Amino acid sequence: MRLLVIEDEPNLLASLAQALREEGYAVDTAADGEEGLFKAESVDYDAVILDVMLPVMNGWEVLTGLRKTKKTPVLMLTAKDQSRDRVKGLDTGADDYVVKPFDLAELFARLRALIRRNTHRTTNDIQIGSVGIDTGARTVTQDGKPVEITAREYALLEYLAVHRGEVVTRATLYEHLFGDDDDTLSNLLDVHVSNIRKKLGHDFISTRRGHGYCLE
Amino acid sequence: MNFNSIRTRLQLWYGLILVVILTGFGFTAWQLERGHLLGRVNSELDRRAGFLATALHPRPGGPGRGGPEGGEPGREGPPFDQMSGPPPEEGPPEQGPPEGQSPGRELRLPPETAGMFDASDPNNFYFIIFDQAGQEIRRSTNAPAQALIPAEAGNAESPEDRRPPEGGGGPHARIFQINGDRAELELQTPQGSMVHVGGTIAPELQELRLVAFKLVLVGGGILLLGLAGGWWLAGRAIRPIADISATAAQISAGDLSRRISLTETGSELGRLAVVLNSTFARLEAAFAQQKQFASDAAHELRTPVTVLLTQTQLSLGRERTPAEYRATVEACQRATQRMRKLIESLLALARLDAGQETMNRLNFDLADLARDGADWVRPLAEARGLALVLELAPAPAPCVGDADRLAQVLTNLLTNAIEYNRPQGEVRVTTGVENDTAILTVSDTGTGIPAEDLPRVFERFYRSDKSRTSGGNGLGLAIGKAIVDAHGGSIDVTSESGRGTTFTVRLPVR
Repeated sequence: MRLLVIEDEPNLLASLAQALREEGYAVDTAADGEEGLFKAESVDYDAVILDVMLPVMNGWEVLTGLRKTKKTPVLMLTAKDQSRDRVKGLDTGADDYVVKPFDLAELFARLRALIRRNTHRTTNDIQIGSVGIDTGARTVTQDGKPVEITAREYALLEYLAVHRGEVVTRATLYEHLFGDDDDTLSNLLDVHVSNIRKKLGHDFISTRRGHGYCLE
Repeated sequence: MNFNSIRTRLQLWYGLILVVILTGFGFTAWQLERGHLLGRVNSELDRRAGFLATALHPRPGGPGRGGPEGGEPGREGPPFDQMSGPPPEEGPPEQGPPEGQSPGRELRLPPETAGMFDASDPNNFYFIIFDQAGQEIRRSTNAPAQALIPAEAGNAESPEDRRPPEGGGGPHARIFQINGDRAELELQTPQGSMVHVGGTIAPELQELRLVAFKLVLVGGGILLLGLAGGWWLAGRAIRPIADISATAAQISAGDLSRRISLTETGSELGRLAVVLNSTFARLEAAFAQQKQFASDAAHELRTPVTVLLTQTQLSLGRERTPAEYRATVEACQRATQRMRKLIESLLALARLDAGQETMNRLNFDLADLARDGADWVRPLAEARGLALVLELAPAPAPCVGDADRLAQVLTNLLTNAIEYNRPQGEVRVTTGVENDTAILTVSDTGTGIPAEDLPRVFERFYRSDKSRTSGGNGLGLAIGKAIVDAHGGSIDVTSESGRGTTFTVRLPVR
């Protein structure tokens, strides 16, 4: 899952991005509204975390601009906690609202819920055959037994599981699993897919030549 | 009834004044009427007494002299009192008493005189005649057993009644007296005889009572009308006060947006309402400003707290390397420093607002102050490649105030001028005096402040630079303005886009 964080306070931006990366997300950052809107329009993020008080363009303007072209879930981040501000945010097209200062755990939970709703799921658990994926705890089990899996492998597996039955292209996978700052080698995907197959069975992920990967 | 209410008190005063006026008026009217009626009785008695006296002591002037009042009653016949009925026409022709008649003898009254004292009705006039020795020589049959005057002379109504009647002639001493429903006149003839004439005044008293009743009735009516009108007027007059009080109550209850509705602005209460409305408006603005300030302050504090919370939660999420911990602690320290500066600024503003910040009142030279300030920031300016230009006119008179505080203002202006300057730009500091005002200017050659932002740069938490990259908290200029204001000075800003910004501080010179 790939996220965009738009926040002008550099310390907060850095720590937020790091925390989200440690949660297994690919994270892009933007320090002002203009850059944020540009990035949000050019990449299909799984969610955008948007501060309201931003230089150049404020959060409302970014949101209004983004909603013209994309339905990306947006979580507003603001120090304004008055009810009318929240109403304005939600009415402008925000999907959720978190007031500063916030707990990281709560922010993550809201983010998961946002992405879950956007992929039409109601719970964190995804069951595919004998394999269970808990998107909340970010764990994978097979026949009830935990499977050791790296963060990047989990992210790949989760994305395929969320889009189960669809053929997901390599480009899409690259876009959603790697941020701007990640070094991406062309065969990195193949390595991760191969590792997952070793752990969960070779037929778990099928390859469609020339198209991409698919979870049946 | 609430006796503290203005309306009630006004009403009571109205009523009191009205009662006094009506009482005075009514009493005067009654007195006049009474004087008039009694005067009539008096003259009736007087006339009759005159006739009796004449009958008693006929004048040598011959018959036909009807009375002592002068005039010529003989020609037209004697006047008759209407109350005594028509004159007896059937009487014998006028004939004076015999010459030299003395009071001791049998007294014969001329018929017209006798007609005045018709004894058939006890309510008619009566008379009693005494001779010089005080012996009663004649009395009409309807005369009461006891004459009033000798016995009760002390009851005379007033000294006025005792004076001789007009035209009555000096020698006739007379006393007029009223007792109960009787009036009596005693006339002493020059010869020493006494003539008592009396009669009932019950009809007059009855008329007086009627007059008094009418006066009370009319007065009461006027009083009621006056009270009703006064109540209405008082209500009308204080209605704006009720409006004002109701509005003030709503404002006191927390609705600061309420205003007194102004129907008329010319009256005293209208002007009061205008003054109150402008006070309420200022109050509301001050409250809104205070609310905004508190909200802004909370907002400014939220950001560093968010950084602290995020950094610490992230750091505690798993084991970190010493370098990572160090970075976290450093970030936390920056956030904490920011909070400390903000808190210090907020406290400074709060003290300045409350007037608790005491300013020294010492003489100082503005040029010295500017030079010291420039020296202080020179390394910063040089690090950015900026030229620091001083044009300091020596001051002819010292300024009075807190040099340390004003140096703080100057430092803030200088760091702003350096912060927002263009590379290789210039910061210019000038001092001078103009019309008893010391002037200090700080100019930069930066991009300038947009015209729409200029009026707001001294507002708290206002930042023309929205990116917040400068690290300031948006309170520096607000604090500067508060300090300069506390000195009785002023601070202004002018800016030209692309050319630079100039801040001008004006301070009064001793």
